[in-house]
This record gives sequence, structure tokens and C-alpha cells, in this order.
Amino acid sequence: MFRIGFQELSLVTLRRLLLIAGVLLILFLGMYSWNQRTHVLDDLGARLGLEITGAVLSPVRSVQDAAENMWSRYFDLVGVREENERLRQKVDELEARLLANGEDLAELKRLRALVQLPVDQSWRPLGARVLAGRMGPNAVLDSITISRGYSTGGRPGTPLVTHLGLVGRVLKASAHSSIVLLLTDPSSRIAVFSQQSRAPGILAGMGTGQRLEVNFVQRDADVKPGEILITSGLDGKYPKGIPVARVLHVAPSDYTQFLAIKAEPLVDLHHLEEVLLLEPTGAPQPLDPTEAPKEFVGPPLPGPKTATP
Amino acid sequence: MSRFRDIAWWVCFIIAAVVLQAAVPGLDVLTVGLIILLQERDYKNMLWLLPLFILLQEGMGTRPFGAVIVWYAAVMALFKMGRWLFEVENFIFVFLLSACLGAAYYGVAWLMAPLQNLPFDVQGTMDTSLIQAIFVPFAWRLLVATRHWNTDDLEK
Repeated sequence: MFRIGFQELSLVTLRRLLLIAGVLLILFLGMYSWNQRTHVLDDLGARLGLEITGAVLSPVRSVQDAAENMWSRYFDLVGVREENERLRQKVDELEARLLANGEDLAELKRLRALVQLPVDQSWRPLGARVLAGRMGPNAVLDSITISRGYSTGGRPGTPLVTHLGLVGRVLKASAHSSIVLLLTDPSSRIAVFSQQSRAPGILAGMGTGQRLEVNFVQRDADVKPGEILITSGLDGKYPKGIPVARVLHVAPSDYTQFLAIKAEPLVDLHHLEEVLLLEPTGAPQPLDPTEAPKEFVGPPLPGPKTATP
Repeated sequence: MSRFRDIAWWVCFIIAAVVLQAAVPGLDVLTVGLIILLQERDYKNMLWLLPLFILLQEGMGTRPFGAVIVWYAAVMALFKMGRWLFEVENFIFVFLLSACLGAAYYGVAWLMAPLQNLPFDVQGTMDTSLIQAIFVPFAWRLLVATRHWNTDDLEK
């Protein structure tokens, strides 16, 4: 009797639970598809959630910096005199080297003018602090959080660099914080070419700690290990000429008609502290008015027809 | 616990959770807050804390909106099921719930990856699930102790 009653109760409860679960699932899928179309909830999450996260982390990082500075200053005082003497020697040495390099610098300027490297005024560098790496269960992409948002120069798509090379680009942003997709993430694709052989290719991330892959490089390209890969600017996402990675291994691919190239990022992405955002200024690249129009190279002009026997 | 102290406790918890999540990639500290809300049947606070937890996790994450809702729904369902079978203070309950949460963490990541057209890192997700499963019981005990201590202090 009790058993049957219990079974009946369980069935009723189970039916009710299944009904509730079904309704919730339908509601969730409706919300999910609506958000995929409109991105309203994505924007709300980025604007509110990311902003609060940035607001919490910024003062924490400032306190951490202050504590680290105090600690390091104390230790620095111990050997400051020796270091001062060493630095003075180095300054003298560098001044001498600067004088010697003056001629090289002039030559570089002349060569730049000769090959017409663009002096890019269309990007403005802005400093930003790295607040955190991946955060929370929802952070599945290889990313970092920085202290600039869409109101302070960190709009989605903005490239990020350090003095060593490219880091990635802004994925999503709140007013004062943003999340940056690193170039090592599997969804990252960057148009590059090799610095010496000028062979174009697409640099693809393979995940944290994995080597990068360069795809679609022709087999006859003379790419060598150790060569630097720089952005080609052909994707329209990154300025041209930023160093990105160093080639580690080159071999003909077993599966495709291209080369299989492995590379490593130039920047140590695990120990980033400060980065530079390259904000597009909207200014067009300066053109030289004295420059003659470039000669068009195309198919030969149609000449007089010759009679064929 | 007075209303003011309660809110202050939750604000401190959220700040600590964000800082800890910045230190340990992939870890969800706010889950422990949700478990405490469920354990105390504090539905008034849940009304504003749960949306805040979801917004925070979705905001600091890189997946499209939705995965955290599934994850927190799984946490709530597992907690309710566990409480139906065991006492909340029971060690077996804590242990089993933590293990199930670890599995649910992996399951949600596996479920959402193809839905959101994202690559699924088996090893990385496995490691994070394990960390999550180990983290929950310790953090839970610690936080419950601070809440008890807070209440006792007030009663004295």
C-alpha cells in the first residue's frame, strides 16, 4: 500500500519535474537564440559584468603594485651605489655608441625614404595595464583583461602590442575594461609575411603553450628557421610591419601543397604587465605628392594583328 | 545576521571571489556563494545576487551569453537532489556534491562548445573541473564558518 502510494507520488513528482525542466529548457533556448540575433545580453554582460570586474581589480592591482614597489625599493637601496656606478659607465658607453650610430641612423632614414616604408600616422599607441588572465568558468578562449575599455581607447578589434611584438586584439569591451584575444588562441588568424623572404601566410594559434602554425605558404618560398614573421596588414585588422613570431621549423606538408611551418610568439604572453593599444586615428596614410604614379603591370596591350598563314 | 552585515558580507565575498578568479584561471568561486544561498534558503538575497553572479561571470568570460545560466541551473538542481537524499551538513553530501559539480562543469563546457562553435580543450577542461571539485568543499566550509562566526558574534 505504502509502496504503491510512494510510487504514485514519485510519478506525479517526476512528471511535474519533467514539465518544469521542459519549460525552462524552451525558455532558455528562446533566450539563447534571441541573444544570438540581437547580442543584447552579451552587451549587457560586457558593459556591467566586465565593468564591475575591472573596477574591483584595478584598485587591487594598484595596492599590489605599491606593495611590490616598496619591497623592491628596500632591496634596491642595498645595492644602489654599485648600480649607480655601473649605470654611469653604461651611459658613457651608450653615448659613445650613439655618436657612432649617427651615420647608420641617417642611412636608415635614407633607405626608408628609398623603399617608401609608410610612416604610419593612422594608429595611435595607448598604454594599458594587464589586470588578469582568463577569469571564471566562462573564459574558454586564451585571453587577458586590460584596464582600457571602449571609452578609453579599447574598442573591440583594437590591436595590442608590446615593445617586442604583437599580443592580440580586443575581443569585447566595457567602458573602462576590455578582454583581449591572444594570438595563441585557436580562433586567432593573422595575415603575416616573413621578414626576409616576404612569403605571405596566415598565422593560426593552436592554444596555450602550443606552437603557432603558419598556413598557406607556397612550397617554393624561401622561409628559414629563425626568420621573423611580421603582420602584412592584408587582413585589415593589424597595421603592417609589426613583428609577431619567430619561425622554428619549416618542412613540406604531408597533407597539403603548402609548407608546414611552426613558429613561436615573440612576446612572452604569460608574463604581460603593460601593453600598448594601437587605436586607429582615422587619418589616412600620408602620400608623397611628388611621387610619380606607379607603372601599371598587366597583360600586354593589344598590338597590330599579324596575318597567319 | 543584520541586514547591513549580511550585505557587507556578500560584497566582501564578491570582491574576494573576483580577485581569486583572476588568480586561478577557469575557477568559479561564486558557485560557493550560490550554494550558501541555497543552504540558507535565502531567496531574498538570491533575487539580486544570482543575476549579479551571472552578469559577472558572463561579463568576464569569452563565451556567448548562456553557458553560466546552464552551469548555475546544474548547480541548483544537483544541490536540491542532494538535499533530498542527505543532510546538508553531512560530509558525504559535501563530497558527492563537489564531485558532481566537477562533472557538471566538464559537462556544461562539452555541451556548450559545439553549440557556440568553439574549440573544446579536453585536458584543460578536465584540469579545471578537478580544481573546481576540490575547491568547493574547502571554500564552502570556510565561508560557512565565517557566517556562523559573524552570527555568533552578533548574538553575544
